[in-house]
Amino acid sequence: MTLSIYGQTLNSRLLIGSALYPSPQIMKQAILASGSQVVTLSLKRQKPNEHSGQQIWQYLQDVVKQVNGYLLPNTAGCKTAKEAVTLAKMSREIFQTNWIKLEVIGDDYNLQPDAIELLKATQQLISAGFKVLPYCTDDLVLCQRLYDLGCEVIMPWASPIGTGKGLMNPYNLETIRLRLPNATLILDAGIGKPSDACLAMEMGFDGVLLNSAIALANNPIGMASAFNSAIRAGEQAYVAGIMPERQTAHPSTPTLDTPFWHQAK
Amino acid sequence: MKFYINDQTYTLTSTSDTSVTTALTLHFNKPQQSTFAVALNGDFIGKADYGHTMVKNGDRLDILQPIQGG
Repeated sequence: MTLSIYGQTLNSRLLIGSALYPSPQIMKQAILASGSQVVTLSLKRQKPNEHSGQQIWQYLQDVVKQVNGYLLPNTAGCKTAKEAVTLAKMSREIFQTNWIKLEVIGDDYNLQPDAIELLKATQQLISAGFKVLPYCTDDLVLCQRLYDLGCEVIMPWASPIGTGKGLMNPYNLETIRLRLPNATLILDAGIGKPSDACLAMEMGFDGVLLNSAIALANNPIGMASAFNSAIRAGEQAYVAGIMPERQTAHPSTPTLDTPFWHQAK
Repeated sequence: MKFYINDQTYTLTSTSDTSVTTALTLHFNKPQQSTFAVALNGDFIGKADYGHTMVKNGDRLDILQPIQGG
């Protein structure tokens, strides 16, 4: 089933990062195996006459073209709204897209987003015509504020970036889903295993964004395929309707006409 | 005058301001077709504005290029 991001219809609910792969070739094969049509990337300072960045850029363009997909630039490394807005504008000029994965980091230890700067940057970027995909914590009120500002897509973390700890606070995430039924919710960061992604989809999340869990696997291409399957399975389960959890045991085999030899004298 | 590109110092014998276009020719030693974007003192400068945006003594330019990201 399809996912809609700011009016663009996608055949996959997985958004994939392009960093940390053992090689550009493995990155390309992993992206193809993932089925994803949205690839994240970033900007860094250029050294005079350094051409490696140009090669990577060419490679990413080719991959995205091959999957008929979209680039999603991020503002990684920014710590203030001003930095993030400037980087977003630079990204827009280079990548020719209004989409921006907005990251404004408030703490170096756990790379937790700075909620105040994030809201400030979101407001400025939306005014400047951007389609903002904010990376945020699993704080319901922050997500609500981002949605109220005009973010159709909200991306709360599962856990800190690169930890692979999975869904730290399932209750918070379920509550965000419940309270923001019309927002497109993408679980971003901290996912370690395909089962984490599947769980998010079973909760009713619209998609998952990840990088390290695939890029740092022993076999990134195989892991990309596993995430592809897990996300589809989780979505199918959500649509099919998961049975309510029950406190007590219920026999699944009919008890009527149970064979007599189990009966007490 | 002196200014900085990606924290590298560039010195011009002239004391008058110079355009972003001229400053970029100092950074890129030979003509190239890199994909990049520019910020001056932390503010984005669009390509169309390179010719008439002036770099003053002590200014800081950032030149960024695409890289993989998560």
